[in-house]
This record gives sequence, C-alpha cells and structure tokens, in this order.
Amino acid sequence: MSAEKKPLPIVEVINLSKKYGIIYALKGISFSIGQGEIVGFLGPNGAGKSTTLRILSGLIPADSGEAKVCGVDLAEEEGEVRQHIGYLAENNPLPEEFRVIEYLKYRASLKNLKGSRKRERIKRVLEICDLERKVSERKIGNLSKGFRQRVGIADSLLAEPRLIILDEPTIGLDPRQSAITRKMMDRLRGEVSFILSSHILSEVEACCDRMIILSHGQIVAEGTLSELQKKFLQSISFEIVSKATKIELQRSVREVDPDCELLNEDPVEVTGKRRFTFNCPKGQQAVELILRNLLENKDFEISEFQICRPDLETIFLRATKQNWKEKDMLGRGKFSDIN
Amino acid sequence: MQGYLVVLRFELFGLFVSPATYVASFYFLALLGFGFRFFIETFVNTDWILPPLSSLVIGLMFGSPALIPFLTMRSFAEEKRLGTLETLLSAPVTNFAVVFGKWTACYLFFVFISVAAFCFPLIIYFWFPEQSTTLGFSNLEQWIGCFLYLLTFGASFSAIGIFSSSITNNQMVAGMLTFTLLTLYLSIMAVSFGEISDTQIFSGFSQFLWSCIGSMFHGLNKMQNFSVGLIEIQTILHQFVVIFYFLFLASIQVDRMRK
Repeated sequence: MSAEKKPLPIVEVINLSKKYGIIYALKGISFSIGQGEIVGFLGPNGAGKSTTLRILSGLIPADSGEAKVCGVDLAEEEGEVRQHIGYLAENNPLPEEFRVIEYLKYRASLKNLKGSRKRERIKRVLEICDLERKVSERKIGNLSKGFRQRVGIADSLLAEPRLIILDEPTIGLDPRQSAITRKMMDRLRGEVSFILSSHILSEVEACCDRMIILSHGQIVAEGTLSELQKKFLQSISFEIVSKATKIELQRSVREVDPDCELLNEDPVEVTGKRRFTFNCPKGQQAVELILRNLLENKDFEISEFQICRPDLETIFLRATKQNWKEKDMLGRGKFSDIN
Repeated sequence: MQGYLVVLRFELFGLFVSPATYVASFYFLALLGFGFRFFIETFVNTDWILPPLSSLVIGLMFGSPALIPFLTMRSFAEEKRLGTLETLLSAPVTNFAVVFGKWTACYLFFVFISVAAFCFPLIIYFWFPEQSTTLGFSNLEQWIGCFLYLLTFGASFSAIGIFSSSITNNQMVAGMLTFTLLTLYLSIMAVSFGEISDTQIFSGFSQFLWSCIGSMFHGLNKMQNFSVGLIEIQTILHQFVVIFYFLFLASIQVDRMRK
C-alpha cells in the first residue's frame, strides 16, 4: 500500500522576519495554512498582523525567511504569487469617481481576465457579494461603507484566487453588514483559503477554523478554539447558585482548593439565592471535588452549578498578556537580549 | 510590462472624467489662443526671426509649468493619499508598468492639448489662405519640426511631473514641485538662449552624458532648427534620457513604498 500523499499547504511561512528601522515587526514567525482553511489572525495593534498579510500579498518584501503561496516562493516569483491571491487592504481604499462595474472591469483586466471569462467572473462576484442590478451602476463614492466593503471583497474574488487575504474586513460595519460578510465567506468555505485579520473576536470565533495570535511580532498561540482553550486555560471558572453566604461558600470551596478565588457575586435573585463565580486553578478534577463537598452541606441549597468555558477574548488576553509583560515598547525582551 | 495598457486606459479615463483637467485645459488654450492672435497681429512690427508657428510652441513651452501640474499631480500623490496605490500594486502589475502607464496617459493628454493648440494656425490656414502663406503656415516641414519639438519636450516635462507626484502624498505639493522644477528647467534654457552650442560626435559615454546636460541648457536654441524643419535626432535622444531618468526615479519611489 502506498502512503497517502498529503496535500501541499496553500501558505507556508518559515522563519519570516521584518524590521522597520529599529523596530522588529516580525521575529521569525512560522505557520502554514491548508487548502480551504479559514484562519483568523489576531493580535493587539502593532503585533505584526498587517505586516504579515502585506508580505503574503506581495506588497512588501520580508527581510529574511521563506514564504510560499501555492507552492511558489514569494521572493522569487512575486508576480506569479499575486495571480493566486485576492487581497482586501485595511480601510479598503477605492477610487470614488468610478462606478462599481467600471472599477470591477478595470480590476479584472489588471488581473489578466479577458473576454467571456472576464464577463462571467464579474457577473459571478456581483452575485456572490449581492451587488447586482442598481448597485453595480452606482458611483463608489456614493456607496455606504457596507457596500464599499462588498466591492472590495468582490474585487478580491475576481480572479478565482486560491487564497484571499482580508485585512480587517468588517471594521466599521454594523452587525448586519458583518453577518453578510461572514455569509459570503461561508459560501466559499472549502473552495478558497482565507486569512482574516480582525479585532472583532466574536467574528473570528464564529467563522474561522483556526486562529493565530500574534504579539510583538511573534506567534504566541495557534490552533483551533478548543485547542487554545485547553492550552491557555487550565484553570476553570464555575458558577454556583446558592443560598449560602459568601464567607460560608468560600470556606467550603477552599477546603478542597485553597487557591480557588471568588471572581464575582451577583445580586440576590427572586428565590433569595445568589450567583457566585469562582476560578479554580487546579482544573476540572478539583472542581468536581468542590461540587461534591458543596453538595454534602444541605444548608447551601445549591440549585445550579455550571462550568464556564472560556471565550476567545479571555484566551486572547491571556496569550498576549504574558508577551506584553516580557517586552518593551520596541518589542525587545526586557530581561534578555534578542539576537 | 504586464498591466501597462490597463493602467494607461484607466488613467486616461480618469483624466477625461475629471472636471479639473477640462477647466485647466480650457483656460490654458483660451490664453494661448489670445496670445497667438496678438502675436500674429503684431508680428510684422517685431524683429522676430523665427517662423510665426514657433511662437505657439514657445507659448506652450512656457505655459507648461501651469498646465503639466494639473495633469500629473493627481497620478501618484492622490492614489497614495487615498491608499488606492496599495490596491493597485497588489494586482499582478510591475512598478514600471504603473509608472509608464500613468506617464503615457498624462503625455497623451498633453498631446491632445497641443493638437488643439495647433488648430489655431490651422484655422488661419483654411480661412485666410493668403495671410497664412505670408506667415509661412503652408510649409509642412515647419509644422512637423515645431510639433516634434513640442512633443519631445512635453514628454520630458510630463516625466518630471510624474516624478514629483511620486515623492509626496499631497497633490498640492506635487503640483508646486512640478511647477518649480519646470520653471527652473525653462529658466536655465532661457538664460542660455543664444549661446553657441557645439554639435559633436561622441567618443565615449561620459561625453554623451555631458552633452545631455549641454542639451538641457541649450534646449531653446535647438528650437531655431526645429522651427524651420531641421530635426535634430540628438536633441530628441537627449530628451529621451531625461524622460527615462525621471521615470526611473519615479519607479524607485514606488518601489520604496513596498519596503
């Protein structure tokens, strides 16, 4: 039996570095993105997200390292790489005085689309991005932000790229327009690979298969949401609804785990009970013991017990917090020199 | 040069839909027309030794610092300000195709205005055949010489405009810089006007380069030859050097933005 061939990744980045003056924007990051994958790029401002995306789209060169898109080396065949990529820049700059259809025709010509294929592709992207009929005849300058964003996405889809890079695609959009953008990505799920950079964590959580968290030019976390949850949050939060007082409950919980801390205490409910949120650093087993211990005391009248799964925001803050503590303003290690 | 024709078409479209270019062209042609009419009327009383057609070329040349900035200042500066240059460069096009495409569009618009300006003597030629013969408008070689001279210098002026636009993201600054550089260029030529320049055969590259600088000083002198239909290939070649020099600098500027 012959070994099954693993498909080549769409994006392969090895030890990529970039420096602006004395500031390290990227410090040797490595990652890969598979066919049809939707990957979210997260990180605080200045983490190196846009730099990575601009390098991958062929706009700027890297100082060192290797980046391959569809198996083609960016440093050697930058022009060819751009044929495989659809790129939506941050803030989506568009020429105001042109009509949507004129602009898409121009972009299609720039991307070497000709004749019937050009017409067919323009029609298709107008359909995907809901820009048909009257909207396509309107001037870009007169469009709302949501429609302008759709024009930008339509442009990135024109040449049937294998990789679409979206730098903050939903910034400034209302929830409805953001949902439409997500829907567009869902329609293409599996066919095209996406790299999505965003500050809206709920959006990344909702539509990305995998996340890469950057901080100070380094990857501080990478994986699916459940992988990140396991990796970053070994301590577990849990909620208890009980008639017990704060002191009673704390004493009982700390009998099992002295490090367990009370995070929150909600006002008295209609039943006269209160909702307490605790954080247990020792993990799930300790929480189970705490629950058993609490149930032994009938006076507590526990009516609800719930383990809270950490959301992406918590993971993001945890992942970047440690990195921020270790770096100074220029991204250099506070306690050790970088090479 | 992938994408050159697409960029050219887009830029031309942009120039033709922009009201600012029309307003600038209209005022420029109107002023030029009045000037030309005034010159033709008073020509007999002046000691002007060149053919009257050359006055139109002089008018266009010295009016260029006012016209060229209107054509070129938007090309890169505005795109940089809006950020659309980044979108353009993300497409599979080369830097030089972008620079060359933008320059060709501005140059073609300049040619369009020059053709419109040459309609003034053409109108005289058809409506007043007798007077036009006296003024020398019936000599085809003068038309060709003058137009070629204008096209040559128009091309290098446009290249200077494109370069100015590529180094800033403020179109007003780009326009002022173009105006300054062109005025300086014309001033150097005007100061050196009448000095004797040698026509020589080059024995080395450095001599050729030096003669290019010499040609820049004596550009207006060369018009004396062109206006009577004597076409100097050397002058045309020198202007080509100026064009490619400034377009190359503009291309470097675009490349710098990628870093």
